[in-house]
Amino acid sequence: MIRSVRSLVLALAALLILAGCGTTAPADQGVRVALQFPPRAGYAFDADDGGLLTKLGVAEPLVGLDPQGSAVPGLATSWAREGDGRTWRFVLREGVVFHDGARLDSGAVVTALTSVLSRPTPPRSIADLGMRVEADGPGAVRVSTDAPDPVLPLRLSSGTTSVLSPAAYAAASSSGGQPSPQDTGTGPLRMTEIRGTQGATLLRHDGYWGPRAASSQVTVDYVTEPQTRELALRSGDVGFAEGLPETSRASLQADPDVTFSEYPSARTVLLQLNGSAAPFDDVRVRRAVTAALDRTALADQVLGGSAAPAADLFGPAVPYGMTTPPPDGDVPAAQALLAEAGYGPANPLRVRLWTFPNRPELPVLASAIAAQLEPAGIAVDITVGDYAAQEPELLAGRYDMFINSRSYLSDFPDPAGVLDSDYTCDGSYNIDRFCDPAFDATVAGLGALSDPAQRAEVFRAAAATLTANAVNVPLVHPQNTAAQRGVTGFTPDPLDLRPVLPTLAPTD
Amino acid sequence: MRRAVPVVLLVVVAVIDWPAEVVDFGDRLAPPSPAHLLGTDVLGRDVLARVLGGVRWSLGLGLLALVVATAVGTASGLASGWWPGHPLGRGVQAVVDVLVALPALLVGLVVAAVLGPGLAPALLAVVLTGWAPFARQAHRLTVAVRSEGWVLAATALGAGSGRVLGRHVLPAVASPLLAAVAARFAGTVLTLAGLSFLGLGVQPPTPEWGAMLAEGRTYVFVAPWLVAAPAAALVISTLALGWGTAQPSGSGARRYLGGSWPWRWRTK
Amino acid sequence: MLGVALRRLAWIPPVLLVTSVAVFALPRLLGGEVTRSVIRARSASSTPDPAVEERLNRELGLDRPVVTQYLDWLGGALRGDLGTSFTTRSPVGPAVLEAAGVSAVLAALALALALAVGVPLGALAAGRPEGAADRATRWGGAVALAVPEFVLGPVLVLVVAVGLGWLPALGWGSPAQAVLPVLTLAAFPAALAARLVRAETAEVLGHASVRTARAKGLSPRRTLLVHVVPRALTSVTAGAGPFLGGTLGGAVVVEVVFAVPGLGRLLAEAVEDRDLPVIQAGLVVVVAVALLAALATELAQLAADPRLRS
Repeated sequence: MIRSVRSLVLALAALLILAGCGTTAPADQGVRVALQFPPRAGYAFDADDGGLLTKLGVAEPLVGLDPQGSAVPGLATSWAREGDGRTWRFVLREGVVFHDGARLDSGAVVTALTSVLSRPTPPRSIADLGMRVEADGPGAVRVSTDAPDPVLPLRLSSGTTSVLSPAAYAAASSSGGQPSPQDTGTGPLRMTEIRGTQGATLLRHDGYWGPRAASSQVTVDYVTEPQTRELALRSGDVGFAEGLPETSRASLQADPDVTFSEYPSARTVLLQLNGSAAPFDDVRVRRAVTAALDRTALADQVLGGSAAPAADLFGPAVPYGMTTPPPDGDVPAAQALLAEAGYGPANPLRVRLWTFPNRPELPVLASAIAAQLEPAGIAVDITVGDYAAQEPELLAGRYDMFINSRSYLSDFPDPAGVLDSDYTCDGSYNIDRFCDPAFDATVAGLGALSDPAQRAEVFRAAAATLTANAVNVPLVHPQNTAAQRGVTGFTPDPLDLRPVLPTLAPTD
Repeated sequence: MRRAVPVVLLVVVAVIDWPAEVVDFGDRLAPPSPAHLLGTDVLGRDVLARVLGGVRWSLGLGLLALVVATAVGTASGLASGWWPGHPLGRGVQAVVDVLVALPALLVGLVVAAVLGPGLAPALLAVVLTGWAPFARQAHRLTVAVRSEGWVLAATALGAGSGRVLGRHVLPAVASPLLAAVAARFAGTVLTLAGLSFLGLGVQPPTPEWGAMLAEGRTYVFVAPWLVAAPAAALVISTLALGWGTAQPSGSGARRYLGGSWPWRWRTK
Repeated sequence: MLGVALRRLAWIPPVLLVTSVAVFALPRLLGGEVTRSVIRARSASSTPDPAVEERLNRELGLDRPVVTQYLDWLGGALRGDLGTSFTTRSPVGPAVLEAAGVSAVLAALALALALAVGVPLGALAAGRPEGAADRATRWGGAVALAVPEFVLGPVLVLVVAVGLGWLPALGWGSPAQAVLPVLTLAAFPAALAARLVRAETAEVLGHASVRTARAKGLSPRRTLLVHVVPRALTSVTAGAGPFLGGTLGGAVVVEVVFAVPGLGRLLAEAVEDRDLPVIQAGLVVVVAVALLAALATELAQLAADPRLRS
């Protein structure tokens, strides 16, 4: 009996050691990466998965983006507005070959865009515009919309408008499914194997029209837990990981084997205030909250530097973002404003603060904000709950304060859509319940502005108006992180809209 | 008398308002020191205070769920055991058979799917699975007791069913039931902590041990005490709650398995 | 015995039916959050758009009466079609089956390891009460029973994967990746098995048959092997059902901690996204497995102990 136990233990130990040997040996020549977000709907373009395919370097839209978020040639080499301004003509790149060997022509583009436009819920970059696409000879397409659209090329930089081989759409319509990106893209990497939401295998596409992919193979693992991504990088399972836990920042930066990158994201964590009811219908109370908060402390101390303090809705990820830090906390000023509004020791202010746990930094911020507001004389009751249950209450204006995390770019680098939905009187996501006809007119004016510099000016002014009215308190802009180990070639993309994987290569 | 000491101590700890939510940004993620015996967390909160403050939540909520489960289970078991042929009772028994077989964490997932995550759904999930073993055991014990002389005598003397159940049957089944309750306390606490760990139960900033573990897991490289402290609290309390103190006959484990081990339920 | 089995078996379909009705109807009756959740799950967009919601409702078939939806689903389920996932839009059946397969492998490996370790340890401990093995089993077992998977898992990852670098920290597919999840999941049933075997063995050791065997001159070790362990094993086998139930629950945590693509993880993600078809199918599978396990336990008990057959 004793002997059998001993042999069992030995066998187990042997198993452990064998297993250990298996992982230390180099797997193959390629790169293995741990990405944060798996495909949401089987790489469907009417979900956000088109953006993921662009990021992977598998599929490409007509228009590319430069690091500043301006339109550059992609599958189309040039474009121009025609006649009444409602139609744009895109000249297609010659010699583009799909991964299955088909050639890109206007027919393929029309098939692809028509297919995604005819979905029940088209991607928001091109939805509700009355968009139509038609061929103009084999080498060009015409895209028109019901109303003149000044940013149409930018819209067509969204990964959700990528073009797959006609075979993908033919297969999808005969099977009743959706087009598969397997061997049907145009990008520098060819998706040869799809492992559901677990991962995918990408091989270099040798017939790519642009710069070759740096690695012959990229194996993608989708790992949703930050901790697990970090462990995978540390244990050498993967050579590249993104979205690392805030706390590992210091140790990863100090690790000589790891190249750690940190870069801004086009996202703002907001303290939203219900401007439609007491106490936050009084601008003085909103200003008091703004004054009482020390956003630099929130970013540097509470979040350990994993976010930058926000002075404004837009941050350093975009050219029109505010780069100067917000003012420090000023408790006496906050107390004075509160006293003006009728609150003080005799009439203490007590409010509810809601947030949700899906982004782990939000509950932490909630506790920190409660602590910062207390000296100013605002007592805060925190509830961390389910966003799905909170949303109807928020939209109906039945809340006091809410911590939200909001991306101000969606699918393509232009925030006009967010300004419209979040801050105009009839906006569908106007949680702050802000309503100012002058502001609405400014936003509406964007519909006729095509010059990027002029638009940037409007965005800057709009954000300034929101700050002046203390509509909400932009707290922090989260920083994106990525780390490479035995891998080079990563270029940070604050917009999170450009290809990432094609430039990655193993160091040896 | 001596056995009451830890209980009294726990009640005292649970009643005291520990400074579990006092924030100090400047002293964030500090390792254990004389000022903070178990270190501080990401907001500079004292981990010892949070662990002690967690007694109220982790053990208190476990006790609450257990009490409700016991009450519901006992009532239904008494009734179904007293009127064995009643269709309602048989239906309840069938439900019990199903629930006994279902892992509480999966039931928690389902309840969260319907009601959303939160404290109340988590408690509901624990009660939903927790009452069934008591129902089954109370049923068996009642069936065994109802043909005993003193029960028959009481019925013969004209006492109503409710009176006989309350005065004669319940006291007779109470002691084995209570032993089972004690043996299940630790399991209930662990299930609740597990649900909170998965984000389906108690939410931060409440200092519940499972939620603290989930929070602390992110910081395990820089602040292992954030994981170690709530983990140790959970392990020590489950050990102390008698999970691991089964009698040599193995009846502790058998009680944990509850009604699934019926062939040894001898009435001594 | 066959009668009992058939009667129990007959209960399973109605129970599954009730479960499916509850899981189907409740979220749908509780309001329109489903559509919004699906939109968020699909596109990370929090901006509500009534037109989009209406179109999506139509796409998902949520605009029809709940009864029609349910009968539709039930009809499909009976034909083996469990519907299409709201978020991934792929068929639910294969996805659930694949995940269930992963969970089954995980649970089976863990249970096998638990029995392989726990049974000999328990017998060893009973053979020499208060010996080293007995004490180790008692204390180790007590700790293993008190340490939940969500504590043990991260600790193992830290020590074995990060500290020692022996094993991969996450994932599923290679034997190396299976070691940590299996170890985590096996700890509890192993301790339980050791304890049960120890208790049963101790009890059997006191029986007349064992005393007779010893009196006839059989060596202690042989007595243990021939007369004692087989009986103790019967009781453990009979207990495999609850083991399986507990292991299913533990598997959810283990799958989340180690990123194992099993049923627990699938369900956890589906709950977050309100992916109703996946929740329904996954849950019906889990309930069916749990019920069958309970039934098997009961039958094993009946087989082991004829006194119960009355």
